[in-house]
Amino acid sequence: MKKEMGAKTFKLMIAGLFAISATIVPVTASFAAGEALGTKCTTEGESTGTKSTSLVCKENKSGRLVWAKVKLSDSNLSPIKPLRAPRGSIEFWHWRAEDKAIFDKIIADFQDLNPGVKVTQVISNSSDYTNTALNKVQSNPKAAVVTTFRGSQFNQAATAGLLKDLSNEQFAKRNVIKSMMGAGQYKGKQLGIPYQSLFNNPVYNIEIFKKEGWKLPKKFSDWISYCKTAKAAGYVPMAWMGAFRPQALQIINSSLMNTASTDAQLNAQIAAIDTGKDAITIKWVKDMAEKYADLRDAGCFPDNPKGVTEAAGNTLFATGKSPILPTGSFSMGGIVKLNEKMDGNMGLTGFNFTDDVNARYTGITNNTFILGINSKAGRTEQRIARAFISYLVNGEVATAYANGTKQHVTVLDVEYTDSNLRNTASIMSERLVLAPRFTFLNQGVRDILEDALIAIVGGETVDKALEEGAKLIKQKLG
Amino acid sequence: MIYKVGRAFGLTLFSVLILIPVLVVVLGSFKGDLELMTKPLALPERWSFENYRNLLEGGQIANNFKNSTIVTLFSVLLTLFISSLASFGIARIIHVSGKVLLLLFTMGLAIPAATSIIGIYQLFVTLNLTNTLHGLVIINVASTLPISIFILSAFFRQIPTEIYESAAMDGAKPFRLYRSVALPLSRPSMGAVAIFLFVITWNDLLYPLLLITRSDLKTLPLALIDYRGEYAINFSMIFTAVMVASIPMVVMYLAMQKSFVSGLTAGAVKG
Amino acid sequence: MSKTEAGARKGASSRPQKSGPRGRLARSNDRAYFLMAIPALLVYALFYLYPTLTNLRYAFSEWDGLQEAKFIGFKNFTRSLTNDDTFYKVLGNNIEFTGLVVIFQTALSLLFAIFLLKNTRASVALRTLYFFPTILSSVSVAMVWQFLYEPNLGPLNVFLNSIGLDFLALNWLGSETITLRAVAFTQVWFHTGQMMVVYIAGLQQIPQELYEAAEVDGATRWQQFKSVTWPMALPTTAVVMAYTTIQSFRAFDLIYAMTQGGPNNSSSILVTLIYLTAFNEYRFGYAATQSIYLIVFILVLTAIQRRLLRTRY
Repeated sequence: MKKEMGAKTFKLMIAGLFAISATIVPVTASFAAGEALGTKCTTEGESTGTKSTSLVCKENKSGRLVWAKVKLSDSNLSPIKPLRAPRGSIEFWHWRAEDKAIFDKIIADFQDLNPGVKVTQVISNSSDYTNTALNKVQSNPKAAVVTTFRGSQFNQAATAGLLKDLSNEQFAKRNVIKSMMGAGQYKGKQLGIPYQSLFNNPVYNIEIFKKEGWKLPKKFSDWISYCKTAKAAGYVPMAWMGAFRPQALQIINSSLMNTASTDAQLNAQIAAIDTGKDAITIKWVKDMAEKYADLRDAGCFPDNPKGVTEAAGNTLFATGKSPILPTGSFSMGGIVKLNEKMDGNMGLTGFNFTDDVNARYTGITNNTFILGINSKAGRTEQRIARAFISYLVNGEVATAYANGTKQHVTVLDVEYTDSNLRNTASIMSERLVLAPRFTFLNQGVRDILEDALIAIVGGETVDKALEEGAKLIKQKLG
Repeated sequence: MIYKVGRAFGLTLFSVLILIPVLVVVLGSFKGDLELMTKPLALPERWSFENYRNLLEGGQIANNFKNSTIVTLFSVLLTLFISSLASFGIARIIHVSGKVLLLLFTMGLAIPAATSIIGIYQLFVTLNLTNTLHGLVIINVASTLPISIFILSAFFRQIPTEIYESAAMDGAKPFRLYRSVALPLSRPSMGAVAIFLFVITWNDLLYPLLLITRSDLKTLPLALIDYRGEYAINFSMIFTAVMVASIPMVVMYLAMQKSFVSGLTAGAVKG
Repeated sequence: MSKTEAGARKGASSRPQKSGPRGRLARSNDRAYFLMAIPALLVYALFYLYPTLTNLRYAFSEWDGLQEAKFIGFKNFTRSLTNDDTFYKVLGNNIEFTGLVVIFQTALSLLFAIFLLKNTRASVALRTLYFFPTILSSVSVAMVWQFLYEPNLGPLNVFLNSIGLDFLALNWLGSETITLRAVAFTQVWFHTGQMMVVYIAGLQQIPQELYEAAEVDGATRWQQFKSVTWPMALPTTAVVMAYTTIQSFRAFDLIYAMTQGGPNNSSSILVTLIYLTAFNEYRFGYAATQSIYLIVFILVLTAIQRRLLRTRY
């Protein structure tokens, strides 16, 4: 049993590392000149990329770290070419307005490849998408390609039988990194392809850290002393944005990741909260909540923390008033838009909420964007959708998507050329876990817990915030 | 004296309260984001039309504008016609059924749209009315009928009975009473209702959100939501979109207001 | 004949004429008048009442909006009342929000209507200005005020701090005690101009002679207001208040875009709660039940308002 957990942890770690290692091709190339199958290596989990031929550093049977070939996909065969689509038109539903232009290009190429095919993007903003998309697509035969958020929305779609099973699709076996497919699985079936991967870890201002001579905090007490030092130096230690829950609670991932000693236990304890078996006044949640109070008391957060909007938080960081933006890799593009000088001046760092530098996990990864086929769509439409998804998981297409949108993807054989994508070297050494925030399947429960944590940052006592939250959850589930 | 000072103070304060946000938006649309966030009230360091160029590129917002115009125009005209006819009827019905009808319609006022969106969506799917502009017109008319009838029937009841009586003595039938007596008299109130409807329909987000997914059919508020999704942290672009969406409205309002105000002041009271 | 009809109309509310030539005429006209209401009735019944009634069906069920609904009797209804603090909190918010908005919006719009009643050039210009926010969409207004209200960088607090009013520079959208009021303020800002136009339309129908007569009697402005403007404007006030009340329930767009009901549901009103219950938590049945309570709540409010204003409807 224990061994199995270890293997699972290891797999997750590898998964995260692979996604990242691909982003630092030059770095890897520089210090891994001697890497070859079977030769000695130094850092466990180090990899040479996400190619079908990539190597990873892992322990062999005799306990030595060597470069090994790791099967990234679910198959020994190389990725398949995109499938052909029958004539017809479909809609592609998603919420990523910022990806529209690059998808337009990809779709144009796809349509050139498949004469008589038309793919129309249907884009709503993310909160509307969360709220109404599933309802809308189930009665819309044209809405064949449907994206879902990881967690509650995907789960909702899966239980309702809205997503076609992709388990037997060749592209789902051969084109994507198998260990990063977890977010698209439901009861053993692959119902969707998590397409994009993100790193929900604090972004830091490299220049300020260098100028002030600070070291990146490695454990919780480091963070507390960092906050005090930074505050004394006149900075807002963390540009935390309490008015916007989705971003404010990115750090809940980091605070959750080491609250249990195994993944199974973590999942179980979150499920117990989720279903009402345990109240949020339980010890492990309380311990976690105390950390938020500690951070608050150390002056980590801005004034009026609960009122800070996303735009204001980003501005604090982009103007150098705050050296840390506690959101994730997805914020970096926006920061560069605000202030060009920040390009190349940002790194990602893990947020370790324990005082153990060797804690099980030190960083977060996530895939939000799960591509699926609407099983209620027309038959031809579903075939077009299948061809379209097989096209998206083609290495070249995914490369265009990744570099065009400045996001990492879960597809094999992708070359990252964008500087922001490669500029994540600092998180390379972290042990990453799939964002545990989305293990909560009941959004209502998660919102209440997160509101309680936000209230604590805003000045509420831990006990009162959790007790009130526990009561609300009980009522919600009762 | 106290009145005059109070009036001046009140008017100035409210003017400032409106002008400042307007200024922030207007100036912000010519600034970059960082400048907007750090110096929101200052004049732009350099007047840049880049936001506008980015926004107008591709003509999408022009298309949204067209959709909004079509939907609003047809919705308002249809609602005005149907509801004034009904209001007049209701105001004139002597039997208790007139009261029942009015109650039935005004009950609709008590039903906020957000409570019935699932039902509306399913009905419109069944009738194949989603992703059509006429579907949008239909739901706009249906949902603005209660408020129009509520207001109009109140006005129709204020018209002195004697006016109808003299026309009825000349042998005028109900529909002619409506057309040649009631309608001309109610011009000011119809104008007021028209402005209401115009504003409600033009601003409505809920129904387009519910029924329209095709980007070529999106109305302005729905498009604004998209821009908000696209530029969530990019306030200068959002403000630019607000500007582009509002400027033509301001012009239209000014044009409408003249006839509206003169319509109000002229004859109505004496008639 | 004319007297007959006038008499019939006066008695209409209580008792329709049953016999005699006068009654027959009234009835036959009634039929024609009723026909006039038919188009409106059809559109309204099919596209508005019917979808709303489907609420009733779902209120008695557990339904996630996707799978089959499961009938559970009155469980949702008892639960809202006996075991749901959020529901009560939001109900309280709704009462406060509607109260604030109705009182301030009605008072301010009447005040400004009186201030700007005369069609002088300045008045017309100011009316145009005051009406201006109305032509913006709720989303724009929400975005603009979200920007203005930001506590550390937002123009409002920057301004208040710069003139030394630091104590007024509050955490507008981030405080459980202030946010609802900040949103209510925005709502009033948003719609006062619109209601002012309604009032001006109403006030301009008050015969000028009444004021002239009052002035001859030496009445002060306040006395003129009390004896002429207020009573004569009562029907308009009824319309304004009724409309403002309903409008306050429509603030969904504004609240949703500004705060999503937060922090911690402190700026949520019933409509936002219903929307979030249905679409965020996929509890359509429970949301339908909340809608029915909302409808009851509004009916009670409307009844109270009518009684207070003693309107003639």
